Amino acid sequence: MNDTATIRLLLVDDEASLREPLADYLVRQGFVVEQAADAAAARSLLLGEAPDLVLLDIMMPGEDGLSLCRHLVESREIPVIFLTARGEATDRIVGLEIGADDYVVKPFEPRELVARIRSVLRRASRPAPAAEDDAHYLFEDWRLDPLKRKLTDPDGALVPISTAEFRLLRAFLDHPRAVLDRDRLLDMVQGREAHLFDRAVDNQVSRLRRKIEEDSRNPHFIQTVRGGGYRFAADVRRVAQDQG
Amino acid sequence: MRLWPRSLLGQMLLAVAAVLLLAQAISATLLWRAAEARREAAVMNAAAFSLVVRGRDGREERALRTPPRRPDDSFVRALRIERSPAFAPLPGDVADAERAEALRAMVESHGVAVSDLAVFVRPLASDPYLATRPRLRARLLRGGGDRPRLLVAALKAQGAQEWAVARVLIPVRQRGVLGSILFQTLVIYLLLVGLHFLLLRRITRPLAALTARTESFARDRNADGQLEARGPHDVRRLIAAHNAMEARIAALLDEKDVMLGAIGHDLKTPLAALRVRIESVEDEAERAKMAAGIEDITRSLDDILSLARVGRASEAPERVDLAALTASVVEEFEDMGDPVTLGPTVRAARPVHITWLRRGLRNLIANAVRYGGAADVSLTREGGHLVLRVEDRGPGIAPGRIADMMEPFTRGEASRNRETGGAGLGLTLARAIAEQHGGELALANRDGGGLRAEIRLPAG
Repeated sequence: MNDTATIRLLLVDDEASLREPLADYLVRQGFVVEQAADAAAARSLLLGEAPDLVLLDIMMPGEDGLSLCRHLVESREIPVIFLTARGEATDRIVGLEIGADDYVVKPFEPRELVARIRSVLRRASRPAPAAEDDAHYLFEDWRLDPLKRKLTDPDGALVPISTAEFRLLRAFLDHPRAVLDRDRLLDMVQGREAHLFDRAVDNQVSRLRRKIEEDSRNPHFIQTVRGGGYRFAADVRRVAQDQG
Repeated sequence: MRLWPRSLLGQMLLAVAAVLLLAQAISATLLWRAAEARREAAVMNAAAFSLVVRGRDGREERALRTPPRRPDDSFVRALRIERSPAFAPLPGDVADAERAEALRAMVESHGVAVSDLAVFVRPLASDPYLATRPRLRARLLRGGGDRPRLLVAALKAQGAQEWAVARVLIPVRQRGVLGSILFQTLVIYLLLVGLHFLLLRRITRPLAALTARTESFARDRNADGQLEARGPHDVRRLIAAHNAMEARIAALLDEKDVMLGAIGHDLKTPLAALRVRIESVEDEAERAKMAAGIEDITRSLDDILSLARVGRASEAPERVDLAALTASVVEEFEDMGDPVTLGPTVRAARPVHITWLRRGLRNLIANAVRYGGAADVSLTREGGHLVLRVEDRGPGIAPGRIADMMEPFTRGEASRNRETGGAGLGLTLARAIAEQHGGELALANRDGGGLRAEIRLPAG
């Protein structure tokens, strides 16, 4: 993306000591940045030209970040990245559940924040995902909850997978029994995580196998297709969250 | 076998049984002695009556010929007076001087001048006089139990030419006495036990519930689901006091969480600001040092906040596949280019606080990489435990310092400076996390050098 000059960011944080240097930094990186010290100021700024993305502190006096985020996602469809001082898992999940696109935990590396901004915008520019997006995937009693990114095995035990593994598995589950070559997989797996590009698809596949295959040397689900790539060799069903 | 019960209920019931048995034994002895005294008096009175009233002359002999109306009654069991010029004991007779003395006193008090008086106890079957009265003998033998005996009292009054010999059947002891006492004791005991059981249960049940509650509170420090005060007043007060204490502790812990959250927030925001500001430092080496410094502070802050919060997990534990969890932590290190290898793992799921357990394992691996240069990680099942094992080939720990290493703010070598990072809380936190999951952290030096750190969790 070379046209960062046209990217407009809204930075909402009550701490001027962080907000101002961060805005300066982002401007130096080529973004156009507007600042708001609280949710009320942010709402009035939003009446004007809508920003491309909002950077939002969770803990603010008055209306908090979560509430403003809900408004932004539901009525404005503007991508949101949370800036949070809390690092606990519940906060992360709550943030993602109400529709934030990503979060960074303070103190963060400014470069990482920029990478995530670009990554979220790249995803936002793609066609909107299908409506059944949050329906669970079921394959041979395994279950993947795409919203919470939770994979559970046939016994119902949670199987922790990384974001990259989640994207890879989802790509497979969206195309069961189809042969997917490495380029295609890489293309589908590209997400907000920039470091994913450096990592070979093969490596990710072998990690995913380690987690879902009984014997990863003799895989049952993710089979290698000679000269072609990989194929997911099981049937996949989609069910609404509370079913099945 | 353990005879002394441990529970309050058991001890109370045993004590009640012991005291009751003692009381019953005393009263039974008294009863028995009273019965004995009565029996003795009856026999002696009968003997004295015979000798005094009928023994003086022969005029009442006729009246005695009528058979006793109630043959079992000892009072009328005085048999006919036998008169003989001489009296000598038979071979089976047992002289009873004590009774003779008593009888002499009784007879003399009725105005009989005694010249000579002898008393013997004789088996009924061997009495020659009764042998001449076979029907009476048979009846007495039948009604008198196994070994009926006669009291034979021979009196020679002063001036009399003949001995008057009176015979009194000594009634056999009643055999049902002991049995009825035992039966009585048993009935009373059962009633008392029943009542005690009902009463004590009103105490012990709330106490048992309180014990369970205290244990669960000690485990999760969650003040929800407090006990309702029930049982006797004393127990109610105990439960109420316990609930108040729980609420206070929970409130203190909540305050601590809020305070730590505030500290975390207040420190992390300026750190974030600082981290952004150093991006404008021109000198790249200088900037890298500053960034590392900030990262170091951040890590220490995280460790301290975590240590204060561990055990107060806000989420319920989730069943997690530990093999996948172990692999995912190892992969984080692989991504950073650290030489961490994943050894054998077993598929095993158990409820865990996933964020915490990851963190504990991460701390152990980071330690191994820091001090040993590389780490081998495995997950095995040993007996009832799942063992997350991290091994290195570093210098290990001096044997005497292994326990110290798990204390807060302790580092492997005193000389190591902050270059190695962290606040020295890695192992402390790992231990707290292991304990949070009902397990333990074990550190041991390996044969051939290096350290083995294990988080041992009871298999879910």
